[in-house]
Amino acid sequence: MRMSENRTSRREYLTAVGGTAVTLSIAGCMGGGGGGSDENEIVAGTAPGFPPFEMKQEGELVGFDIDLLEAVVDETEYTLTGWKEFEFKSLIPALTNDNIDVVAAGMTINDERDQTIDFTDPYYSSNQAIVVRADGDFSPGSLSDLSGHAVGAQKGTTGESVVQEQLIDGGSLSADNYNSYGNYVLAVEDLQNGNIDAVVIDQPVAETFAAQRPVAIAFTYETGENFGFGVREDDDEFTEALNSGLAAVQDGSTYQDLTNKWFGQQ
Amino acid sequence: MHAFPLQSDWAFVLGSLDLLFEGLVVTVALTAASIALGFLLGFPAGAVEVYGRGPLARVVETAGVVLRGTPLLVIIIILFFVVSVSSSAFVTAAVALGLRSGAYQSQIFRGALQSVDEGQLEAARSIGMGRLQAIRHVVVPQALRRSVPGFQNEFTIVLKDTSIAIVIGLGELLTVGQNLYQGGQSTAALEIFLTVSLIYFVLTFTTNRTLDYVDDYFTIPGGEQA
Repeated sequence: MRMSENRTSRREYLTAVGGTAVTLSIAGCMGGGGGGSDENEIVAGTAPGFPPFEMKQEGELVGFDIDLLEAVVDETEYTLTGWKEFEFKSLIPALTNDNIDVVAAGMTINDERDQTIDFTDPYYSSNQAIVVRADGDFSPGSLSDLSGHAVGAQKGTTGESVVQEQLIDGGSLSADNYNSYGNYVLAVEDLQNGNIDAVVIDQPVAETFAAQRPVAIAFTYETGENFGFGVREDDDEFTEALNSGLAAVQDGSTYQDLTNKWFGQQ
Repeated sequence: MHAFPLQSDWAFVLGSLDLLFEGLVVTVALTAASIALGFLLGFPAGAVEVYGRGPLARVVETAGVVLRGTPLLVIIIILFFVVSVSSSAFVTAAVALGLRSGAYQSQIFRGALQSVDEGQLEAARSIGMGRLQAIRHVVVPQALRRSVPGFQNEFTIVLKDTSIAIVIGLGELLTVGQNLYQGGQSTAALEIFLTVSLIYFVLTFTTNRTLDYVDDYFTIPGGEQA
């Protein structure tokens, strides 16, 4: 009896996969870097869907990060030639692969990201807000009050880490009681529908929701987290330029004007 | 936000139709390019798998196994961030979807080619046709007809999978829809999803009906039914 001709043996499969990997890595070396021809031209990347930091309105990319980075780059000798939009999780690969030169996407500076990319000085401090239904009976005053309730957050955000590290890892919330959403809007929608009792989100975002929907901020949880612009590790000169640009913007009136414009009275 | 007084959610969707249309154009163009590339790769690959011998057949077969066994998300990320086949997100997405579709289509055509009775090939050879001639003039015309139903599935799959292209920054219909409720009017999420789904449905329905029509048109009167 002979083996069926159509079967790929394990050895053949591994050879082929290995071969493909080699081809891919060679092709990768030949691919070369992207980016503009002029060294001082830069492209920024962001992930819309994080109001009021970055979002699309009538097809236009707008928000605090957009205005702020443009103001910061104006203070430097660099020229911002345009914005590219990605999913939040694709921003770091896009940065390290030279598709973009700087990330402005409400990105929290943390150790994990700092291992892959560098950050500018912080440009915004944000705490986490715990949002509940405005007309509901549930009004927690601290994280421990969330125990036994269904809680939601956006995947990959600091809100999720807070739920994970402070509640689930500590044993005060069972993992079944945590719902992870692709976007804040869906989490808040589910909160309104009564499927979850609280959502953990960045404070300025929570204030936007509280102004527009029947939800309220129950309390805020201080994480002391800072947002920074993401840059490549070997781009020290550019990072320095952004830091001095940022300092100039924060010393003048521009920074205050932008926070007033995007966050209201703060 | 303040600049946009809340209007009714359906009015918001209606007012955003021009943006959705721009997304639709990307979706349709990406689907067409990917299906075409998939056909150019998949049809010969299917034929090689049925009739091919030696190293070529093994290469085609293995490439198919690897592509079918790799999630589309991984293919698209490798092609853009690791290999950088093109700096254009559209070209990269079309290549990724096209390669994957080619691997799927090769199996549609393999099945269709194998479904044509071997006796027909023998009969064609016995009246003096060469092997290639017999395949081309006797087997392929019948096989193409029988591949229409499988092709309808493949079209639908590619159409809906175009939405994955946002990981490399290419925004199509679904992304435009998501941007609309995430940045514009967040209460309109349901209305936007319904509208986007309706557009996908219309696209799928009309294309499938067109392929049904093509199928009927080319049916061999009184011919062997698949």
